[in-house]
Amino acid sequence: MAKVRVHKSDIAKCQLETAVRLFQNGKDRSSVITLAGAASGILDRLVRNSGKEPFVDYARRVHRELVGHMPKRQSYSHHIDKKLGVIANKHLSKDDPDTVEFDLEEMAFNALARAFSDYVQLNGDGDLFVKAFYSWAWVNADGKALMEKFKNVPEKMRPR
Amino acid sequence: MTLKTYRRLELAENQLEAAIGLFVSGGDKYSVISLAGAADVILCRLVSNFGEENFTEFSMRQEAERGLPVGTIQSHGKDINDTLFINHLKHMDEDEDEDGYIELDVEECALGSILKALANYVILAGREKDFVKAFLAWVRLNLDPNKYNIHCDPNWKPTT
Repeated sequence: MAKVRVHKSDIAKCQLETAVRLFQNGKDRSSVITLAGAASGILDRLVRNSGKEPFVDYARRVHRELVGHMPKRQSYSHHIDKKLGVIANKHLSKDDPDTVEFDLEEMAFNALARAFSDYVQLNGDGDLFVKAFYSWAWVNADGKALMEKFKNVPEKMRPR
Repeated sequence: MTLKTYRRLELAENQLEAAIGLFVSGGDKYSVISLAGAADVILCRLVSNFGEENFTEFSMRQEAERGLPVGTIQSHGKDINDTLFINHLKHMDEDEDEDGYIELDVEECALGSILKALANYVILAGREKDFVKAFLAWVRLNLDPNKYNIHCDPNWKPTT
């Protein structure tokens, strides 16, 4: 066994690629969420470093347009992680109940979509595993209908 | 939306099983570390809730008995996780003086992450599940018996 020097962007790519493989092969959804969440934890910083808008900041901007105020970055990021099941699948507090109720299937898909939003900002959509996920999403999440809805989204609420 | 109730142990078990599946099949080791690391946080807490000594507490007690300086349980847990690069693989700090590169022995960290999570898992669920048997068989076939306790003997001591 030997040490390797690796950039965190390559680690995020490996995690995301594995997450998509698990997802498309019908494997454990908690694992998909954890890997997509870990990749997002790295990609968010890399997107910011590149001067582009990460998913969290896009979501905050949409929140401001809909609700009227911009939520704090750290708390909104935590809120998104909670919504996507990232927290429940990697954390347990002393007083948490022994069971938890959620839609793992939907959260796994959404966790991947969030991670891909940042991954594509940095790397484009040319990788095979990116195409595989987007093709799956187009068919299974009714891409056509979504794009029709997107046509009506005002410019200021679109990703930059 | 299809809501379902999950036991916390189930969430951790599924992630540990996925980590072991990736590990023994030559899959991505960064993902192994993230999955075993996530599972272990949940398992550690469940072992404590169960009234037993978890791996982190055991490790801290061992170090104290050898006269080594030990901090709090939190700092000891963080030290172990940092040694295994668990936190580095899900996070990238804003103020970290980092160029994005890390240097690690990914095979060793993946193995260590699984062993740590498994130590907690067997306290709660035993060794009867197929994925546990498969991993322990891999351990017996592939690890140096002078360096690793491949037969899980409680009285074993390393000879190298």
